[in-house]
Amino acid sequence: MEVPTNRLNLVVPVVLIALLTVFPLIGIPRVWLLYLFFFFIYLAMANMWNLLAGYSGLTFLGPAAFIGLAGYTLVIVTWNGLPFYLGIIGGGIIASAFAALIAIPTFRMRGIYFAIGTLVVPEALRIVFYLWKPVGGEMQGGGAGYIIKGISQLSLSDFYWLALAVGIVSILLVRTMLRSKLGLGLATIHDSDRAAACCGVDVFRAKLYVFVISAFVIGAAGAIFYIYQGYIAPVGAFDIRWLMTLLLATVIGGIRTEEGPIVGTIIVVFLHFLLARYGALSLLIQGIILIVIMLLIPEGIVGLVRRKTRNYQSLLQLATRR
Amino acid sequence: MEKHSQEISQEALLKISNIDAFNGTLQALWGVSLVAELGEIVALIGSNASGKSTLINTISGFIHPARGTIEFDGRDISALDPFRIVTLGISQVPEGRRIFPEMTILDNLILGSYNRQARSNREQNLKRVYEHFPILEERRNQLAKTLSGGEQQMLAIGRGLMSAPKLMLFDEISLGLAPKATDELYKAVREIRGKGITILLVEQNVRRSLKEADRAYIIKAGRIVLGKNVDELREEEIKQAYFGV
Amino acid sequence: MSVEVLAGLSRPIIMGVLLGGLYALIALGLSMVFGVMKLINVAHGDLMLFGAYFAYALMTAWGIDPILSLTMGIPLWFILGFAIQKYIMSRAFGTSMEAPLIIAFGISLILQSLAQIIWSPYSRALEAPYALGGISLGITSVPRTYLLSFAAALVVMLVLRELLRRSYLGKAIVAASQDKRGAELVGINTGRVYAFAFAIAMATAAIAGVFFGLTFPFTPASGVGFLIIAFGVTIIGGLGSMMGTFIGGMVLGLTQTLSGHFLGTATQMLFVYLIVFVVLAVRPQGLFGR
Repeated sequence: MEVPTNRLNLVVPVVLIALLTVFPLIGIPRVWLLYLFFFFIYLAMANMWNLLAGYSGLTFLGPAAFIGLAGYTLVIVTWNGLPFYLGIIGGGIIASAFAALIAIPTFRMRGIYFAIGTLVVPEALRIVFYLWKPVGGEMQGGGAGYIIKGISQLSLSDFYWLALAVGIVSILLVRTMLRSKLGLGLATIHDSDRAAACCGVDVFRAKLYVFVISAFVIGAAGAIFYIYQGYIAPVGAFDIRWLMTLLLATVIGGIRTEEGPIVGTIIVVFLHFLLARYGALSLLIQGIILIVIMLLIPEGIVGLVRRKTRNYQSLLQLATRR
Repeated sequence: MEKHSQEISQEALLKISNIDAFNGTLQALWGVSLVAELGEIVALIGSNASGKSTLINTISGFIHPARGTIEFDGRDISALDPFRIVTLGISQVPEGRRIFPEMTILDNLILGSYNRQARSNREQNLKRVYEHFPILEERRNQLAKTLSGGEQQMLAIGRGLMSAPKLMLFDEISLGLAPKATDELYKAVREIRGKGITILLVEQNVRRSLKEADRAYIIKAGRIVLGKNVDELREEEIKQAYFGV
Repeated sequence: MSVEVLAGLSRPIIMGVLLGGLYALIALGLSMVFGVMKLINVAHGDLMLFGAYFAYALMTAWGIDPILSLTMGIPLWFILGFAIQKYIMSRAFGTSMEAPLIIAFGISLILQSLAQIIWSPYSRALEAPYALGGISLGITSVPRTYLLSFAAALVVMLVLRELLRRSYLGKAIVAASQDKRGAELVGINTGRVYAFAFAIAMATAAIAGVFFGLTFPFTPASGVGFLIIAFGVTIIGGLGSMMGTFIGGMVLGLTQTLSGHFLGTATQMLFVYLIVFVVLAVRPQGLFGR
């Protein structure tokens, strides 16, 4: 956890952020903006998922629950004439409230039971939202789909800036949380729940904090996604594909590394764009990649690079020793 | 010279030559050599964490030696899988027994003859086991978990016998048992040796193991410090080797 | 309760029990793999679904009867299961705790996408002339497919039970699940035994897929639901008990039919999921588990 405090470490990210912010204004091609939009949305979610599964020992298979709930909150907010950004924040809040609610039963579940238990949640929610029509009654379609209101004035640049914001927030959150006391507690929990409890770590509270905070960010990112998409339907909102994407991004990049989600998301979004017109084939390929990576490079790209550079460094040390 | 080594390889059923073995990343055995001749009872004595169990597990194939060889019946078994080694004739009665608690005694024993060669002689082997341990026949349809500690140990030994082994490895069979139960067990061990099976015995109770064994090795911190016929061993030698005074 | 209400309940209760048989059949493979290797095969639902699609392909291409197609499906799925465990999953075990889970997800993804590519997202169903219509059971009539599935479940469970009890391989599988080291010590090649266990589990999944497909329509997305049901049955019934699995199946089956009866079919799966969730939170070792 030694963070070098030299100036370069602050200057580079600030410049980068400034650059990214002005992208839409300097005539960047639409496709690039779209790519970056998806990159930051998925990055925010992947960072949070990595925080849960990689660092806190919570293999949470229900991120779609937060995303869908936030999306429908957005619907409720915008259909009641309130501005969309309140919808984003509201979505985050509802997602975290829900997280706090299910934390009580799900934290009792250990290991694989927690995984399957959280898998059940979005499936149940999908049924709920097929039947429950929180507002209006228009666009019945194939089951309780809604358009998002109050966003017609927004352009791709606006979507992009929203995504950029949530993406950067997620990176900052991960950095600060891991270096905080909470992060230390989480590290011990990841290794052993019981050992951590014996050392005075309030296991439940630590997990709760991470869970609730992650839910907020994932929810907010989801709401922003739905602002871009313009409509929401139960089948897509609570789809297991959200999990697949986050899983792939985290695993390719390197679970339990800070940079992992960044690297992984770059690749995943690239794959999405490359294979977009092939529909289900793109998922097929992602599944194959997931298996291949887990078998050959389970520590992910970042993990692999770290291992290689460590070896290289120690070789270098050996070579230069007298 | 050649004739001499030929004699040795013909007699010694088990020959461990200078092995190093690791438990994960930690080295547990250093240059260990050990010989067990046909029909012997060899005792392996050492305090806790001296490497006894590691050695036993290396012979059984759960650990492969990083250096050195293990020869059994003239054949190098150092790189073989555990199930192969059972087929060749080495049977381990492990520390903690490791019987199948929710299966009947009979099933436990039947599984002892899982490997193909032993299957055809199953009924004979079963009869022999019942001769050594009549109580197993009595209780054969009971679940293994209902047995007492001593009976479970008998079951573990019986199961080990079912594969018609040439060499049996006993790892701490008297652990947690009363002296009377231990006596019964060792009576069976002698009977087993009487049938021509070679035995390697790991036993915390030094006196006990020296009483039963023909030869003894003393292992300390992963190294063999002494290896002699039991009747040639002196008390001070044992104390020296065991405690390192 | 009035007589009318009770009489009205007879149909959902009977259907729930019969459905329970099918659910138990679905859960068998998952339960076995979990019991032997402590692995939850999250691809189980999709592997079963693919079994249904396979039978569908044979039915639409060459008019082969779905149950008959099992003569091809069972050996194929057996081999598939053996290969998956031997070459993929066994390597995952050595890697980390999450690795088998993630790899199973990958398999799940692949199967879902394949199903969608080949057969489109629209729902399909298996059909056979003898599976149409209902049979009158005195007080009420039930669909034939429910009875067929129940019968199939009974047969498979009996066969499996005898296999595990009497054959050397069966005993080896049970032994390896109780004490892996003990099994290795008697000369059992646990790697191969695990592969066989997985293979048997897959074979039952193929059977379950066909009977499910005869009873209900399915889409490429149906796999997750199967997994949740299979998992629910497994934990409610507890591990290592055929009877437990059967009862677990019935608990979920009855939950579905009774909630459908009282509250309409739209919410019935919701209650099934709810029960699974509650059992996970409150008593994961199940009603009969050790």
